[in-house]
Amino acid sequence: MAATQQTVAEKSFVLPRAGVIQTDTKKCLTCRECEVACSLYHEDECNPELSRVRVDFDDFVPGWPDIRVCKQCDFPACYYACAARWDEPAMTIDAKTGARYVDRDKCHGCGTCARACPLPPERPVMSFKQVGRKRVYFKCDLCYDRAEGPVCVAACPGGALTYITAEERKK
Amino acid sequence: MAQLYGWTGKILRVDLSNGAVSTTDTAAYVSQFIGGLGMAARIAWDELKPGVDAFDADNMLFIMVGPLTGTMASGASRVLVAGIAPQQRPSVFSRSGMGGHWGAELKYAGYDGLIVQGQAEKPVYLWVHDGEAEICDAAELWGKGTYATTAELRARYGPKTRVISIGQAGERRSRIACIQTETGNAAGQGGFGGLMGAKNLKAVAVRGTRGVRIADPQRLLDLSLRASREGQRPRVPGGGPRWPARHAPEGSYRDRKCGFCNTPCTNRLFMGMPGEVTGGAHSAAWHCWGYFTSPRAHTEARAMTADYGLNGWEISYGMIPWLQMCRQHGLIDRIDGVEIPVPEAEIENLRDAANVSGEFLVTLLRLIARREGELGDALADGACYAAEKLFGGRGAPLLSRIYPRHFGQTNHWNGHWGTGGNVYFPFWLMPILQWCVDTRDPASDSTHQYTEHVLEYFPEHGPKRGPLTLEQARLVCARVYGVADACDPTIAYDQPETKALPAIFHHNRAMIVESLVLCDRENTRVFSMDTEDHVADTALMSKLFSASTGFETSEAELDIAGDRVFNLLRALDIRNHDRSRAVDWQVALSLTQPAFTDSIVLDLAQFAPMLERYYELRGWNPANGYPTRAKLDALGLGDVAGELERIGRLG
Repeated sequence: MAATQQTVAEKSFVLPRAGVIQTDTKKCLTCRECEVACSLYHEDECNPELSRVRVDFDDFVPGWPDIRVCKQCDFPACYYACAARWDEPAMTIDAKTGARYVDRDKCHGCGTCARACPLPPERPVMSFKQVGRKRVYFKCDLCYDRAEGPVCVAACPGGALTYITAEERKK
Repeated sequence: MAQLYGWTGKILRVDLSNGAVSTTDTAAYVSQFIGGLGMAARIAWDELKPGVDAFDADNMLFIMVGPLTGTMASGASRVLVAGIAPQQRPSVFSRSGMGGHWGAELKYAGYDGLIVQGQAEKPVYLWVHDGEAEICDAAELWGKGTYATTAELRARYGPKTRVISIGQAGERRSRIACIQTETGNAAGQGGFGGLMGAKNLKAVAVRGTRGVRIADPQRLLDLSLRASREGQRPRVPGGGPRWPARHAPEGSYRDRKCGFCNTPCTNRLFMGMPGEVTGGAHSAAWHCWGYFTSPRAHTEARAMTADYGLNGWEISYGMIPWLQMCRQHGLIDRIDGVEIPVPEAEIENLRDAANVSGEFLVTLLRLIARREGELGDALADGACYAAEKLFGGRGAPLLSRIYPRHFGQTNHWNGHWGTGGNVYFPFWLMPILQWCVDTRDPASDSTHQYTEHVLEYFPEHGPKRGPLTLEQARLVCARVYGVADACDPTIAYDQPETKALPAIFHHNRAMIVESLVLCDRENTRVFSMDTEDHVADTALMSKLFSASTGFETSEAELDIAGDRVFNLLRALDIRNHDRSRAVDWQVALSLTQPAFTDSIVLDLAQFAPMLERYYELRGWNPANGYPTRAKLDALGLGDVAGELERIGRLG
């Protein structure tokens, strides 16, 4: 994996702050281009089920769409849970963006991270891909290895997604 | 079989007469026919025998997607619908399409298309999910509107389930019934909802969690992200793209898009309108067509139109003005007790028609959807069929202004009647050429890009002034169409190529759009304000196709495929439905009234050689409009030429 990443020692509680993808539901056009852009970038296929960002909407029910994406918590429960459970945790902090993400090569498939997420379980921001008999979990990694930044933000035609860097978020 | 990218590799086939569910391998067709409409055309040529009529069990309903469906390519969630179309008079093999999210879901469920044959004994629906398909009893759904049907199927299979269905109109084999999606999109023209009804097929519910494998993910990503988002119209100098969309601040509507679309359009969802006509709250989609009534009644009537599953375009732009003309000629006064409003002056063009009340609209919609009484029963088949049955046939001559050769679809973007769009002489000659040879109103996929995109850039189009100089526009036209004078407003009949070549180009491109399957609002763009030479990336579709499928295909090669699909559909029309030059010419003969935009009359004496030149450029025999063997052989359709020769219809 790239040198930009670094696993912070598991005992460390205070982590570098992460950037985050900010959502504005009133600008969302429910086209789901973000979903297929994400899966295409990360999984080499167009498949909303493998997207780290999801858009839920019901055109029969008046209301704005619900955009689900990881909040990149200051104190990420997913990260702590993975670190507590495994000697070699899969949850990783990217040094540059601060993204909390799952290193797919290290993922044990236990799902501890997803269960630890404090966001409402009916609005999941983590999921897994079935690879043979193993589950490989995934969540938003802010496209830390993409020079131009998160691909979903670039793909969104309505401007509903904005990338806020860790620096900007501190202000 | 080698791994396919882009395509899933299987077309789902369901025979409702015997309940058989099977699949056809996609791979055999892709190199020649791409997917979507192209594959439907080939399978129809092979399997649809002459003599089959729209409501016969042997008619086939094609609900197709293509190699780009469900991918990141903009507009990649449309669905192509084809079959012998009930709305057309006489019924011929034709096409329609719809947006929304259903198309991508079918792809994710593992299919490049769905072909329905036969006729179920009792009402059924299909449940398609991740490589499986079941025929299910629809007794509880029959009689319900499309909203209730969709809600019920989502309750059964989960909120992410995508549904297409027919309402009460389709169940009663209305020839103007649509196939409706939960997003308010519909396959409107063609009456394919009536075809579903004739098959006793109420709905198709789909859920898929499989993806679309992409041959070159990075290339597709780059293409999609870098593709122009300037939309159809010239970008205002210094202005940004026509984004972001505008939502109503009070939340009464929101703009929205079909799946995976980057291009501006007018798709808008009204959320919870207070009632004027029906006293209820509705979600209604608003896109393009409209009723001429109060805004609130309009929105509610649209919701009702979608719920009954009716073609609102036909009702608004054809049937209602026709009924008003019938009243002006003393043939009818009221529908179910409600007076038909009429203007004082005689209706000559659509703009002369009177606005209608909400009460009138809901009454008319109810009569049609339920086939109530002699009037509702006749109108349920559209004005052209109704005119045969009502008023002793005396309403038929009044159709002429509205419907070319009374064939069931209204004039549209061709300068006549006025259903949509101001196009001025000489440029309306191009859409009239397309009307002459098509099996439907060609605007939807073949004319829009010319009339609403290309003409916007020309320096002079009627009273309109585009942003380019004549010299700039000439260079673009020379490169894209092969005829620089295509943009010259002073050239009309004297250089037929200036209209014929764009007509052929946009028709062939439409075949590609309908085969990939993409959206005609986006493809094919010709002009751009973002490039030095003002030529748009006309090769975009071939690049997207190559990146997704791994079949490296040039722009020229894809154009040949489009030409192939067009010629195969022409051959099918000739073999199965007796299409010929004589039929084409009836279109011209029915456009004798002055254009509503500039009052210029089509000059038939000069138009005849223009049509003949069009045939020549197509590789068709100018005497009869049949494709020649040389043309079909060049397209790899030698077997089609053989069959046409056998029946004496080779050009």
